[in-house]
Parts: sequence; structure tokens; C-alpha cells
Amino acid sequence: MNIGYYPGCSAKGSSLDYELSSAAVCRELGLVSSEITDWNCCGSTPAHAISSELSAALCTRNLMQASKQGADVVMTPCPSCLSNLLHAKERMKNPEFRKRVDELLDEPSKEDLPEATSVMQMIGRMYNTGQIAAHVKMSLAGLRIAPYYGCLMSRPADLMNFGDPENPTLMESLLAACGATDILDFPLKTECCGAASGIPHRPLSSVNSGRILELATRMEADCIAVCCPLCQMNLDLRQKQAGRQAKTRFDMPVLYYTQLMGLAFGCDEKELGLDKLIARPDKVVDKIKALNTAVREAQGGKA
Amino acid sequence: MRIGVFVCHCGSNIAGTVDCKAAAESALALPDVVYATDLMYTCAEPGQAAIEQAIHDYNLTGVVVASCSPRMHEPTFRRTVERAGLNRYMFEMANIREHVSWIGKDMVANTNKACELIGMAVAKLRNNRPLYAQRFDITKSVLVIGGGVAGIQAALDCADGGIPVILVEKEPTIGGKMAKLDKTFPTVDCSACILGPKMVDVAQHPNITLYACSEVDDITGYVGNFDVKIRRKATYVDWSKCTGCGTCTEKCPSKKVPDRFNENMGLTTAINIPFPQAIPKRASINPQYCRKLTTGKCGICAKVCPTKAIDYTMKDEIITVKVGSVIAATGYDLMDWTVYQEYGGGKYPDVITSLQYERLLNASGPTGGHIVRPSDGKEPKKVVFIQCVGSRDKSIGRPLCSGFCCMYTAKQAVLTKDHIPDSQSYVFYMDIRAVGKLYDEFTRRAIEEYGTEYIRGRVSKIYPDGNGQYVVCGVDTLLGQRIEVTCDLVVLAVGIEASHGASHLAEKLRISYDQYGFFLEGHPKLRPVETNTAGVFLAGVCQGTKDIPSSVAQGSAAAAKVLALFSRDKLENDPQIAHVNPARCVACGKCIRCCPFGAIKEETFRGQLKAKVIDTVCQGCGICTSTCPQGAIQLSHATDNEILAEVNLLCQY
Amino acid sequence: MPVLEGKELRIVAFLCNWCSYGGADTAGVARATQPTDLRIIRVPCSGRIDPLFVLRALLNGADGVLISGCHPNDCHYSAGNFYARRRLEVLKQFLPILGIDDRRFEYTWVSASEGQRWQQVVTSFTQRIHELGPAPRLEDAEPLLEMADMALKPLRPLGTGQKAPLDELKACIKSKIKDLDVVIGWQQGYDAAHTVPLFMRTEEDVDRLVWGPFNVNNPATYVNEMIGKAVPLDKVKKIGVVVKGCDSRSIVEMLQEKLIDKDNIVLFALPCEGTFDMARIDRELGRYSKIDKVEYDEAGVTITADGTPHRFCITDYAQGKCYNCSMPLAKDADDIFGTAPEITGTPSTPPELAMLDAMTLEQRFSFWKGEMDRCLRCYACRNACPLCVCKDYCIAETREPHFISQEWNVREKIYFQYIHAMHLAGRCTLCGECQRACPVGIPILALRQQLVRIIGQLFDYKSGMDSTATPPLLCYKVEETNIKQREL
Repeated sequence: MNIGYYPGCSAKGSSLDYELSSAAVCRELGLVSSEITDWNCCGSTPAHAISSELSAALCTRNLMQASKQGADVVMTPCPSCLSNLLHAKERMKNPEFRKRVDELLDEPSKEDLPEATSVMQMIGRMYNTGQIAAHVKMSLAGLRIAPYYGCLMSRPADLMNFGDPENPTLMESLLAACGATDILDFPLKTECCGAASGIPHRPLSSVNSGRILELATRMEADCIAVCCPLCQMNLDLRQKQAGRQAKTRFDMPVLYYTQLMGLAFGCDEKELGLDKLIARPDKVVDKIKALNTAVREAQGGKA
Repeated sequence: MRIGVFVCHCGSNIAGTVDCKAAAESALALPDVVYATDLMYTCAEPGQAAIEQAIHDYNLTGVVVASCSPRMHEPTFRRTVERAGLNRYMFEMANIREHVSWIGKDMVANTNKACELIGMAVAKLRNNRPLYAQRFDITKSVLVIGGGVAGIQAALDCADGGIPVILVEKEPTIGGKMAKLDKTFPTVDCSACILGPKMVDVAQHPNITLYACSEVDDITGYVGNFDVKIRRKATYVDWSKCTGCGTCTEKCPSKKVPDRFNENMGLTTAINIPFPQAIPKRASINPQYCRKLTTGKCGICAKVCPTKAIDYTMKDEIITVKVGSVIAATGYDLMDWTVYQEYGGGKYPDVITSLQYERLLNASGPTGGHIVRPSDGKEPKKVVFIQCVGSRDKSIGRPLCSGFCCMYTAKQAVLTKDHIPDSQSYVFYMDIRAVGKLYDEFTRRAIEEYGTEYIRGRVSKIYPDGNGQYVVCGVDTLLGQRIEVTCDLVVLAVGIEASHGASHLAEKLRISYDQYGFFLEGHPKLRPVETNTAGVFLAGVCQGTKDIPSSVAQGSAAAAKVLALFSRDKLENDPQIAHVNPARCVACGKCIRCCPFGAIKEETFRGQLKAKVIDTVCQGCGICTSTCPQGAIQLSHATDNEILAEVNLLCQY
Repeated sequence: MPVLEGKELRIVAFLCNWCSYGGADTAGVARATQPTDLRIIRVPCSGRIDPLFVLRALLNGADGVLISGCHPNDCHYSAGNFYARRRLEVLKQFLPILGIDDRRFEYTWVSASEGQRWQQVVTSFTQRIHELGPAPRLEDAEPLLEMADMALKPLRPLGTGQKAPLDELKACIKSKIKDLDVVIGWQQGYDAAHTVPLFMRTEEDVDRLVWGPFNVNNPATYVNEMIGKAVPLDKVKKIGVVVKGCDSRSIVEMLQEKLIDKDNIVLFALPCEGTFDMARIDRELGRYSKIDKVEYDEAGVTITADGTPHRFCITDYAQGKCYNCSMPLAKDADDIFGTAPEITGTPSTPPELAMLDAMTLEQRFSFWKGEMDRCLRCYACRNACPLCVCKDYCIAETREPHFISQEWNVREKIYFQYIHAMHLAGRCTLCGECQRACPVGIPILALRQQLVRIIGQLFDYKSGMDSTATPPLLCYKVEETNIKQREL
């Protein structure tokens, strides 16, 4: 399988750590992909609000670029990018729509564009639990993780292909493969973090993210594991704002699931971009190390 | 043949767009037509009299009426010609209203079409033969399937009418869903107090034979003569000896059995009696949990039973009964609400169904009538009711309204306040549907007197807040605002579907059912109790959602239908059935293979095998006729020649 | 009756009483305006509708035929529409090979409550028929006569069968003949190049049994009148039949339809290496007064007629069915001698059908007009058919029911052939006896070949292969895999 990698804009900016950690995890697992040459914006933010044709044209161009370099599947870390790629593919099945999109493109669109999926689904598809566990150097056992997908990753269900849109479980199985035992049954895992209203209606955004942070805190989570750059930014960067709205102070590390997997695989913290997090993840790293040391000592003691 | 044609004006309904006079005149040119006229209202008394008069005056041997749909007035005119001495099947109708005058305004085209339809009717009539119904004996007893309130009412009314009743109930006790309820709306009277005596009546009525823990295995036959196989499931207790003393249930060591009667809200013993007022009040053993039956060691109940009623070797038993009529009253079940992952999909202990809540309210329930949270046994102070969980929700393919949830939710909110005066109830609703007598007044009371907070909107999420409470997120569509309610207990008004296995029963009864499994009535307005299978009637929610009074009413209505059916000593069959011409039959057996009713058998006729139609079983579909290559089996009144006559009239090169 | 000139076309509808007729009533009650062309014939159930009614209407000049019944699962008689769906779908797919545009026939489902849907169905079907215009009339068609190129590549080597273990077979028959009333096989006919059926009753009779490419008759044709269901019970025999692979399929089909009882029949099988297309051989021999001799070799025979030798290679002169034969040796026989050859490749479209496939609708219409005009209605095709068990009770020769008249015109001749074909739908094993028996050489096998192809595609079914299977038009599936619902 020839895999094209579509990073999306945020991977090169605000969520550089997501890209770094994804790359590290893929490297450890041996998942090879090549970045699409001359990729462009997925049309997620401004374009799709103004014109669905323009948004689809942007995505179609990306998929065609991928096709040119021989990719039969394109993976992206960002749920928003994925959503746009998949929506574009779906809409392009309508010949009328396709005609309008073709007018915006330099060359007519191809009939069979590559399939699009998330990095998370790609890992899940290529490796089973045992294969992932084989790479684990530091188990996540004992770490209390609140898995959080955000509103976009699993919806709409028939497009994103994450099973029950209210209760996706892929992230949990990947983390469990890394030894995690205390993954919380986090009820708000697909609720909106409020990022979309961050600019027009900041208090609403704070209410939403505050609710997630508060419940995670109350459930005694060590960290929240996320898979969306916007969620991460909203929950991490705006944690203080959310705290102010809720009249409390949160101290909840918000890590990408790839950062947690990277930690488990024994990757360097810097390489995983942990230094880019606002809410310091040190206690998470320390806890993992401490737990692993304890286990090792216990085993050593027995031996 | 001497045929008379009567073209009806139907006031201006037909005459407005069809030249009835011209149509009648054109009919005179048709072969065998000796008389034709147009009438203002043929179905009215003067119209019918004119037909009778013409039959006498012109010695008519066949009549065609061109008017409305035969589905409307064919029976009327058949009686008319019969009164004038003709066979009722020497009559045909041309539908020039629904199929002509009402669907177009072109007078020329309509009149031409009317003339052709009359021509077709005449062509068919010329091939018609007089048909005579056969009379056959009937078994005057009735099978009632399902012992809920509808079935109980139907059984009692039939029994009071002197008809032997066989009541089959799959659970160990009758009573159905109503027996599980605490109070009933809008009177808030005790459910057990009004149902209990009726259940006792069933047990004591000399005309009723009750088979609890039993299911219908198979039904064959036809109206007046059904053969029914009933499977009496093994209860491992000889009910002829059991006195219902309950000693066994006290001593049974297997005490962690989910309590089905209590909607799994509590635990019970492996041998048990569902509830104190159960009818029959007999113990039965749940073989999944009984230690003797699972491990072979125990046998305590057998030791303590004073009448030695326990029999661990009991097997299912099939009994065969003959009945003349069947009333299906199989009720409903709740849909599987765990598809709603946003409501926790069943993993939160304090998110329960309203039927479970009903058991909590009930004094004979697992908590003795105290409302407590299943998770920690504490009394809830804030209770959220969510309506339409699995009703009116296209996203899960259930656009149907379950009908009675609005009312019981209001009732439960009222009862909550009665039980816990310092409690507060919230109801998330879509619309309040309170259309019964005193229903709306009752909901208003729940809101105004009992302070129940009604929030118009759906719930998007329920989650535990980590402090032992639950957060219910929704939207108030009247205020246009998001709303969150933190509460102790959530009660879901779960949508209903036909009881599990209803579709299998429908196939055995040869009746239709809709996409939710509810049985199809004969006509949505005019035959709400009948089915399209003669002798099979419906009562209660199995036909569609109903509250208790409507279920009881339909139970009585079904009983009335049975009593009317049995008011005659013999029944007449519909003579529009298939007949075999033994001279043409080559016994290839294709008709036997295709008959959906098993109404054709092979028999020896003058030393040769021939097909033979069992008159009383044949329903008159005609599949056999279109299957028989040589046309040896013909469906009376829709024979090949009758249909070909119509085809040939229309298509003449 | 005439249609309104220039305004209406002749559209006939068959509606079931319970759903669709009610739906049409509902549309009327709602005053749902509809085109005036349609004439409705009310029947109790869509399962009552014989496809022959539709063919009758179309042959008699209907421009369109519409059928509507209850939606699947809603049939008042529980299964009528399931049977109808199968039969009507087969009919619809059969029409094009007859040169009739299949858009002129449609079937659909309308419930009693769907007045609006009925209005839409009538409107769109009427519109469709008006777009197609009046149906072509047989009278107007120019007769077209064309011959199929019969040469094909066989799926196995063909031969003359002279090495088949005939003597072993004879010994076996002799050992069993005491227990059998008769054993059917072949013997030499009036000359060495023709065989006629042999009815063996004694051991001496068995010695006259022959095996070779001249054994063209299908002995299964005689089975029904000896042990069929219509035989008076005291006259039922116990018989044996020597079969080629193709013959055995006829018998398996009869067993499958329960027309005969397995206890009454014993099958003896030899591997067949192909049989001659005697029509072509006779054409080649021309007029002759006497066959002098017939010499066999591996690949064919040399027939000397009036002193002139004619060489016939079996690969060039076999019957059409032999090329596509994938079962030369009956697999369900009781006594099997010899071994079956290896089959390579997949069957190709039979030549008669391939010829029709290549034609346009109009050409096919003309072709059948031309061919069927020559039909004598001698019923040889029917009498030769092992599965036409009605024989004396055929609806072609009765007024009860009066499907077909004795009028001497091409329309009635065609209708007879279509009836014969439709009665074989899902049953015919393509033994080819009908076409072989036709004295004027009408390629009627093509009709059956098309039906076999339809049945194979729709129901994944091949007749005469499994005596326990149910013929596809005598059963149904609630969800049909290959019948696609068309929107109307």
C-alpha cells in the first residue's frame, strides 16, 4: 500500500508537536508514508463556509496530487482535514457538483481518487495489539487517561467510519496496546470542546472546554488524550481562560495520543514535542517513569 | 344470457364528467345486453328497487352496475340481485367513479373509458357462473393469545358469553404490563386494585382454561376450525399439586437471579412466584439458575415442598386444541434503548426505563415502593424524565409515536412528588400528546400543582458528573437555549415495539404486520378489530399503540366479534375458491407446491391421482390457477376465461 | 374496442384487489388527476396473474401492460406477490428476445393507502408508453428468415462412442430385466444411419441395443406416459432407461417436479461423445434411395448413400447442444459404465440465441413473424418434449380455458409457441427435442435458451441437475438477490 501523508496547515504551526509525535510513532512502528508534494489548505476554515465547491476543489487537488505520486490512500492526523477530504470525495460523486468543481481546477478531476483516512485509523488498520505492544519500552499501565476525540473525529458516522459516533473506541485500544490499564470511560469524549466559538463567543467556548476539564479533573485523570489539533489548543492553551470562567484553576495536561504512544515507545521527549505543551506534562512523564520503575523493582525483587 | 346495465350518476359525482346516458345507450350494443339505463343514485333505495324491477320486467339473468368501486358497494348490489332471485355472482361492477369521473375532466375521454369498462364488465359477466356457498360446522371455542389486560378482557367477555376460552400466556402469570404498573393515569388509581379482581375472575371462570408459561407452536385450519398446538414450557413444578404457599421460594439457595417481573430491578430466587397476586399463583423454576438443574446438587425445594410438586425431569409438553376463532393480544415490548450511546447505552445504573421506575414506585416492587437510586440506594431529590427515547426518532428508524408515554411520564412525575415531597422533577418532551378524556387536565396538574418542570427539547447527552450525580444536557427550544440539569436519577420513556416473536405468530396466523411488527387490521377505520384472515381478531397494543382503556375496549370489541361469529351454528364459505377439473388434471402437483395455505391435496379419483381443493381452507388467491399449465384448476369468479374475456375485449389487434 | 384515435393508447393494467386496486380507489377519492388511457382488470392477487395474460394482451395489440400488487411481505395471501415477482420478472426479461420492447411491460407494488403513488405510477407509465408510441403490429412486420451458424467449439473432444463399454451395459441390463417391465434404449432404424427407440422386454431385445452418434432421441420422452402421475395407479410400471447425460437431466427434472417416483425407474448410463444434427446430415446427403453402409472411425462416420460416400466429422455435424454439453455421462444414474471426459472451458452462447442477440428488436420481431408463419401447429415440438406432461390436456387445444383459438394466423401460431416456452420456464433442460422434431425447422429452441439464460442469471439455477431442488418458479425468496426493483 502506497500511503500519502497530508499534514494539514496546523501540523506545520500550532500543532507541530502532533506532527512530530505522529512521525515518531510511525517511524517506530515502521509505517512508511510520503508527504504529498505541493499540498494546499484543505479548505476547512474559510473556504467551506463560503463555497462547498471551493472547499471540494481544494481537497480534490490534494487527492490528485497524492494520486500523481502513486498513493492509493491518504492519511492525515487532523480530523477536520479528514472530514473535508471525505466530504469532498462524497460530493464529487454528484456529476453536476463535479462539473462545477472542475471549473475551479487546473485540470479535470479524476474519477478514482485515493481513499482518505486518519493516522489513527491507519495505525489501527495496519497493526494489531501484539504488534504495537512489541514496541513498548515503558508501559502506560497505571496512568489514568481520559480519552477525548472531540466532536469531529467520529461524525458524521457513515463518512468517518469510527463505529458508533457517540462512543468511538479506537484510541482506547491503541493506548491499551501501549499497556494503559486505567483508561477512563470518559462520557464527554465526543462532546464539543468549543473551539469553533473561540473567536466569536469566547465564554461559550470556555464553558465547553471547562466542562471537559472539570470532569476529567473530577475523575482524577492524569491527563487528557486528544487527537485533534483544535481540541488540543483549546483545552491546553485556553485552560486558564476556562478556569477563570469556572472559577477554578485547572492543571490538566492535554497530550496527543501519539505523544503518549511515543512515550510508551521510549521516544525522546523533545522529539515528541512535549516542550510545546502549555499545561506541563512533567507529572505525566514522571508518573509513567515511576510506575515502570516500581514494576521493574518489584520484578527484580522477586527475581 | 340476458344482461341489464345500470349506469349510476352518483349525483354529479359521475355525471359531472361522464355522459351517463350515452354510456348506457352504448351498452345496448354489447352482446347479450337487453336492457340499459342510467339512474341518479343506484345504491339508494329507489335505485336498488329499479334494478329489482328491471330483473323481473326483462327476465334478466345478469346485472352490471357502472358506478363506484366494487370495494365500496359490491356487497350491496349482490344483495340486491339476490333479492330479485339471481345468484349473487351473476353480477359485475364497472368502476366509473374512482377510476374515471374523479380522476379527469375530459368528458369525451371519460365517457369512452366508461363505455369500455362497462364492456369489460359485460364480457366478464358472460363468462360468470352461479356460485353457491357451502355450509360447514364450527367449533365454538376461542383461543386468546396473550394474558395482558386486553386478552383478559377479551377472554372474560367471551367466557361470559358462554364460549369456552383457551387463554395462552407465555409468562408464568397473566396480567401483562398492567400488572407491573403502580398507578394508572389520569385517575391515579392503583393498577393492581383494578386489574387484580379481573385476573382472579380469569382463574375462577368455568369457561376459561388458562395455560401460563405456554406459547402457540402452530396453527392450521380456517375460520370455525383451527387446530392449535400449544407448547407448555417446562416449569419443573407440577401445577396441579402446587398450592403457591411459597415455602420453596423462601428456602431456595440460588438467590441471585435477575427478577424479570421487576424488570431486573431486583433479585429473586431460582424457584419463584412472580408477585403475590400472580395468576396462576404457582411456582416455577428458572432452569438457568436452578442449582439442581445446572449442577445436579441441591434439591432443597423438592424437600421442603409440602405437596411434593417439584419435578426436575419435566419436559415441554405439546397439547392440541380445536378452536373456531383466535384473538391475538400479544401486547408490546420496549425497544432496545441501549442504541442511545449518548444516554450511556445502558452503562449508568441510575439511567432507567419508565417501566423499571414503575417497579420502584410499586409497593410490591423490589424496594417496597420506596424510590431509591439503583446505584447507591439513596433517595433521589432531582429526577429527570426524558420522553420519546426511541419514539419519533427517524435517526434510528422509529418515526412512530408510542402514544401513552406523555401520560405516564406526567403520572410518574406526580407520583415522584407524592413519594418525595421535597423532590423536583424535570420532563424533556417534544410535544405533549394528551388526547384522552381528562388527559390534558392531568398533565396541567402535573405542571401547575406538582411543579414539574417541563422543558421542550431533546437531550443530547447524559453523563455522570463524578460527584455521584448525572448531568443531563439538552436544549430548551422554547427559550432557544442550551440547558443542563444536574440530577440524581434519569427515567427514560422508552419507545414500544410489538412484542418479541409477534412476527412469527403473524406468519402462523397468516396475518400481516407493519415494519414495527404490529399486526395489520382489516381496515384502518372500519375494521379495526378484524384481520384479513377470517376468524382472527386483534386486541390491545399488538395492533398499534393504545392506553389501558382503549386496550380494554378493543378486548371487548374482539369478544363481540367472536360472539357474533358464533351466533350461527354453521358458517358459509366464500365460494370464490379454486376448483379442479379432474378431467384435465394430470396430477403434476405444481399447484400443491405453490399453495400458500396447503389447501390442495392429492387424491385418487377413479384410479388416477388428481389434485383436490379443500374448500374450507382455500382462500381464493388463484396462485394455483396461474401455475397450472393446462388450466385444470380454476379460481371461481376469476377464471382464465373470465379474465381473458376482459383482455380480449380491450385488445382486439 | 378502439382506443380514442390519436389521443389514447391501449394500456391494460392488472391490479390485485387488496392493495393496488384499493390504491387506485384511494387516488380517485383524492381526485388525483391521471391520464385516461389505462384500463384496469381486477384480480384477487398478483399471484393470480398468468404471464400468458400479458403475452395475450401484447400480441393482441396492447401498447403497454402494467401490473401492480401488494408490496412484498404485505400480500393478503402472504406469498402471492412473491410468486408473481419471479414469474413477471422472467416474462419481462423474455420479451426482448421476442422482439417486444420490455418497457411496454412493467410490474410494481402499490398499497391501498398509496393513492399518490398510484397517480404517479399511472402517469409515468402512460407517459412512457406514449413516448414509445403505438406497439408494432405483426401484420406490418416484414418476415425475416435467417439461419444460425451452428459450428462451435466443444467443451470436450467429440467422437463416435464406439469404444464405450456397451457390452458391459448389455450384461447389466440383462441381469436386471426380469425385475423391470421395460427398458428404453435405441436400435437401428430403417437404415444404418438412423436409430429408433428400442423397448427391451427380453434378453434377446437387449442384444439389439446400439450406442453411437445416431442415438439422437431423448428416451425420457416416453417416461411420463409409463410411470407419470397421470397413469392409472394399477398401470404404473417399473422401467429402465438408457441415458446420455442430457437425457438424464430430463429425468432428474421429472423427479424434481415429483412427476415420477424414483422407485419406478432405473437409469443406465454410458458416456456420450456427441450426437449428429440429423437435419444437417440429411441436407448434405440430399436425395437418395438407399443407405448402403455406415463406417465409423474415431472422429466421424462415412455414410455411403446410393454408392456415394459422404464423410461427416462429428465436430462439424454435432447437435448444437453437444458443443455446450458439460455432462456427457449421467451422474445420477443407477448403473454407470465408462468414465466421463474432462470438461475444459465454459459454455458459449448457443448459436440460435447468439443470432437473435445480434439482432435489433425490430429484426427479432420480423424474424419470429417469418419463422412462425411456417408453423403448422402440428404439435410435434410439444409431443417430443419430455417435460410437456399435459399432452392431451394442453391448453392449445381446449376452450376450457380458452387461451388460444384455432384460427390460422401467425398471431395464434406465435402465441402457441410462446405458451409452450413459458410453460417450460425454469424447467427446460435444453434437450432440444422440440426443435429436432419440428418438421419445418423453426429454431424454437432459441426461446428456451433465452429462458434458461434468464433463469440462470436470476436464480443461479440450472434445471435437471439436482432431484431435491425446487424449480425456481414454484418457490420464492422473501428477499430476491438478483431481482432489482425498478422505480416507476
